[in-house]
Amino acid sequence: MNSVRARLSRLVLRNRMIASILFLMLTIFFAMGVPHVELKTIFSDLLPEDDPFIHVFKDHPNFGNPLTITVMVKRKDGDIYNPETLGKVWQLTRDIDLTPGVDHDQILSIASAKARYAQATPYGIDTQPLMGDSVPTSEEQIEEFRKNVEKSPNAQQFLISQDETATLISATFIERLLDYGVAFEYVKGLVDEAVDEDHEVYMAGQPALTGWVYEYQHQMIGIFAITLSLLVLALIFYTQNIAGVVTPIMASLVAAIWGFGFAGWVGLPIEPLLMIVPLLLIARSFSHCVQFTERFYEIFNQVGDKQKAAELTTSVMMAPSILGIITDAVGILLISLAPIPAMERFSFFCGFWAFMLIPTGVFLAPLLLSVLPAPRNLEKIVADSDHGFHGRVKATLTAISTLSQGRKAKYSAAITVIVAVFSFYHAMNIQIGNPVEGSNLLWEDSEYNESVAMINSHFPGVNTLEIILEAKNASNTNRVAKQAETVSTMLQLQSEMENSDFPPRATLSFGDFLMDANRIISGGHTKWLVLDDNDRAVNAATSAVLMGSSPKAYSHVVDFELQNSTVSFWYPDNKQETVDAALASARAAVEKVGNEHSDFTVRLGSGTIALQQAINHVVERYHWLIMGLLNAAILLVASFAYRSLLAGVILLIPVNLSNFILTTCMSFMGIGLDINSLMVAAIGVGVGIDYGIYLLSRICEEYQERKDYALALTAALTTTGKAIMFTASIMLLGILPWYFLSGLKFLADMGLLLVLVMLINMVVALVVLPMLVWLIKPRFISNEDILVIGEGIDISKIVAAEVPVKSERYVGRAAVSESY
Amino acid sequence: MRIRKYDHNFSRRAFLEKTALGVAGAGLLSPLWSSIARGADMSKVYPDELTSIEMYTKGKIKAGDIITANNVEHVKELLDPVAYHQVKTMGRRIHIVEPVKDVSSLYPAEFLEATLRNKGKAVLGKDNNVYTADGKPWVGGVPFPEPKNGIEAAYNLTLSWGRHDYSQYAVRDWDIDPDGDLSYQYDFVWCELNTTARTNGDIWKGKDDLLRYQSVFFTAPNDSAGTSFLSIWDYDQSKFPDLHGYIPAFRRVRQFPTNQRFEPLVPGITLFLSDAWAAGDPLLTWGNYKIIGRQPMLGVIGPRNFHGGYHDNWEKPVHGGPKDQTFFDTYMEMVPECLVVEAEPVGYPRSPVGKKRIWIDVRNQMYVAYNTYDRRGEIWKSFEPHYALQSNDKMTRKDGAHPAWSWSSVHSHDLQSNRMSRFVQAKSVVGGYQSHYDGTKEDVYNKYLTVQAMQRLGG
Repeated sequence: MNSVRARLSRLVLRNRMIASILFLMLTIFFAMGVPHVELKTIFSDLLPEDDPFIHVFKDHPNFGNPLTITVMVKRKDGDIYNPETLGKVWQLTRDIDLTPGVDHDQILSIASAKARYAQATPYGIDTQPLMGDSVPTSEEQIEEFRKNVEKSPNAQQFLISQDETATLISATFIERLLDYGVAFEYVKGLVDEAVDEDHEVYMAGQPALTGWVYEYQHQMIGIFAITLSLLVLALIFYTQNIAGVVTPIMASLVAAIWGFGFAGWVGLPIEPLLMIVPLLLIARSFSHCVQFTERFYEIFNQVGDKQKAAELTTSVMMAPSILGIITDAVGILLISLAPIPAMERFSFFCGFWAFMLIPTGVFLAPLLLSVLPAPRNLEKIVADSDHGFHGRVKATLTAISTLSQGRKAKYSAAITVIVAVFSFYHAMNIQIGNPVEGSNLLWEDSEYNESVAMINSHFPGVNTLEIILEAKNASNTNRVAKQAETVSTMLQLQSEMENSDFPPRATLSFGDFLMDANRIISGGHTKWLVLDDNDRAVNAATSAVLMGSSPKAYSHVVDFELQNSTVSFWYPDNKQETVDAALASARAAVEKVGNEHSDFTVRLGSGTIALQQAINHVVERYHWLIMGLLNAAILLVASFAYRSLLAGVILLIPVNLSNFILTTCMSFMGIGLDINSLMVAAIGVGVGIDYGIYLLSRICEEYQERKDYALALTAALTTTGKAIMFTASIMLLGILPWYFLSGLKFLADMGLLLVLVMLINMVVALVVLPMLVWLIKPRFISNEDILVIGEGIDISKIVAAEVPVKSERYVGRAAVSESY
Repeated sequence: MRIRKYDHNFSRRAFLEKTALGVAGAGLLSPLWSSIARGADMSKVYPDELTSIEMYTKGKIKAGDIITANNVEHVKELLDPVAYHQVKTMGRRIHIVEPVKDVSSLYPAEFLEATLRNKGKAVLGKDNNVYTADGKPWVGGVPFPEPKNGIEAAYNLTLSWGRHDYSQYAVRDWDIDPDGDLSYQYDFVWCELNTTARTNGDIWKGKDDLLRYQSVFFTAPNDSAGTSFLSIWDYDQSKFPDLHGYIPAFRRVRQFPTNQRFEPLVPGITLFLSDAWAAGDPLLTWGNYKIIGRQPMLGVIGPRNFHGGYHDNWEKPVHGGPKDQTFFDTYMEMVPECLVVEAEPVGYPRSPVGKKRIWIDVRNQMYVAYNTYDRRGEIWKSFEPHYALQSNDKMTRKDGAHPAWSWSSVHSHDLQSNRMSRFVQAKSVVGGYQSHYDGTKEDVYNKYLTVQAMQRLGG
């Protein structure tokens, strides 16, 4: 026993003090990095950075109202023209101005001084707020207010619903001063207080969404605690001794410190929304350590010496453990190919952490086992009993093993082929994207998404497509947004879109404000809406619009310097068919007006519709690439480990079948392919291949001992298969609570998909892989020179040579055990 | 060797005591106004620590030094919070100069004479407006040289903004965005014509029901040229002035809501009508005036802040901010005693402003710093004026027989959105309009201060 693995394990275990100091120093080093860890959601980093729509969005982040909270007050039993509702809107408008970080210049409602009507007078025009200096209370005052509203087309379209039962209050925040959590809590408090038996109040907008996400991230801490407690309880239940509990916890804790410390030192902000993956890593570390510990007990029971047992365990477990961990880590690292900054950072962070399971799982675990007290229940743990819980599991697995051998194998194969064809068909037709009304981060019936739905049903809504007219020179002295050509392009785009086969619900541009100003100042008749197509007329209208006001009041359509502008188009939802049709119309419209103009470029586009397309598109572009590369990597690793290309293929078949089944399940559950499912698929393949490697190794081992496929398959399933079941179970235990407890649909979906992928991989590994071996009967099975089969050592010989044998019962090959 | 007679805590204690007791008289060692009347310098009125920055900071800062982020802590108490923030975090530098000795250099000569002449004649009427003892409108100068309360202190700022019966400021403005880039640039002319509270005590054309006519008209850039605003102030400070705007391209007058005073006049500028002279609104449309303290300050008040002779158009060098152009170079000096006055916009049910705080130099009753706060109590804007006697080592500009006195520049900083409007009183602006304070040179009323004049100016 002088292989590299054996020498390495001897080196570590015979220099425990040095190894411990080394682990301690490294842990202290990484622990010092932990305080630098920044846990924060950077929403724009969840978008694919190489998509042209995202470029437009990032170049013009202020269009599309990303910093605006919208509150809708809805009168349940009538219209808003009554003292109570108007008083409520007045008070909310005043109170929202007290929100920390709010821009006092950008609060708009029917009660704000900025919502004005204008009327022509003999001397010129008179502009006054819709509401006077106090809330209208008498019938006459309310009637006068109603008449004022009738003179303000913008208020009618964007501030008061068509049925006059709802009105909006919007508040825009200063990004530098905005603390999303604080602002959300404040406005939420106002909204909750404003609700009464006659009024419903809804809150939407990106700051509100961010606030909700932060709120649920606090909830996440609680779910984390529950999950970790369940994992520890599972450990206690399974091992019932100190070493069995402490070893996985310590090894996982050290790996976690290293992982977070790495992120802290390297300065990678961590996305809390993706924290389920580290949890998966903790679960995997636990299950790996449990198997390692179990194997240690078996050997310890034979050799009676903790250090020697730890050394031998390390030696036999090293290769399969490392290979298993590498496939996990590769799956995670390949996610970084998708050009989404948050995912890239996360895959480096988690990839590093996954790799760190090698030193902690393979070296730290035996170090700990060699020093922790020997368990008193050793006999019970290693007993090969057919009774009790373990016995029942074994019997079940024996029954399962019959599905992949003998005559049943043909039926199983037929069913597998049918399932594969069915899954392949459905997987190929799965919808891309998961559009919901509001945000996909939250449940459809969440308060936020319901608010969005209500606002969408009363007003043009929140789903916009923005076509940006971008100044070629941002310092153009002839400010581009108020040039005649720019304004006529805006108006032409609106006209093209409104007359297309798929017209938007509403459109808005700076041109609309200019036309209205032109009408009012020219006497009020609608015939004066039309602007003359020359700079002088457009400039005049611009002066009229902006006189005595800040450009911030128009920041949703034009930037502060009046250089860049946007044309907004509202759509009812962001489903793929809507997105496709809207973009098709927009492309045609842009082609008609032309991209390039002398002073500006027409850029498609930004807004919810364009962002949705970008997110969907990145999945289309990278799903198959990442899965293809992961397959290639696994083929390479597996072929090397088994010295056979066929082995690689045999391992990949069940893994990919699992993936297709997962995609089909998603399709039937109405979940579309998105970046979350891509992440889960990549992790799932990494996990699934572990099952395959360990099971196949055990089959090889058992075959070489028994020279009989049926016996080998049954033996492998009742040993390694049992461990696969335990591993899958402990991960289910860790992840399943997320689905039931998380207020974040994003996390719940991830949790559900991970649970599904574990289950599917487990079933497929236990049935399809043995079946393939049975049907193909590959030659590599009998090859003794397989990397992952361990040393082929006979512990009894080593034991006989070095220490007295304690028990003859467990003398046998030091087979690869179940460590995943 | 100079022996300090009074330690640092003497003045602090004395100011606290005066504020607590509501003592109106300025000066710590001797009464300020009798010294001013005698032409005595400030060393007889205030201890050294209040007239010398070197003494105040125990030698850490002296005249000739430049305040930067590295040494601003030594003078933190002498700056308003926004100026401190600008130095500490935005790269603003402030030159420190010897303080003026002669209080007369803090006034236009005629206004000081009127102040001394009319001292003690002002009374607050039942309607809280200022009258003479016989119920006539105010007759000129500072009405309350030794204000007993916040409202009197505020009247000192309100009744004659520019301290000339007629002021015409040719203003060049630069609006700097948070990235330090120039966002907008305007030339405009600001005219103020007092009909009452005039230095010679007369009533202009019998308009005793009015306080002033005031207009702003833009001359550059081209797309804003001709845009103008006219505001006609009643003498009764509880009434809102009529506010007319003129849009030249449409040849239309636009009437604005009278209480719309918290909006910029034109795009990009942070200046609200409400901000002018820290008293931009009729005095009684605000309320809860109170003196909350007295303290020394650093103020931009000396003749070095006049750039005539240094620049053809009196424009100032700039520095600081992300692109090194956010602030004017300013020269500050010790102001020995300032009143700190607060007020709230009680007459504006929709005001986004919660209160204003004004630091008023007791010697000329003119403010040296002014901050507005939002309704949460957080600082929103700062309006920092820079004054100068227009007589420096390069040139002297006369206003009648004496060197002229006026403001020379302003930093109007919206701290929350971090936009800075800085503007100078230039010699002239596009259109050839010049700064001056002589209402008799031409028919300024018909030329600049009527609706018809605005239409004509808009061309």
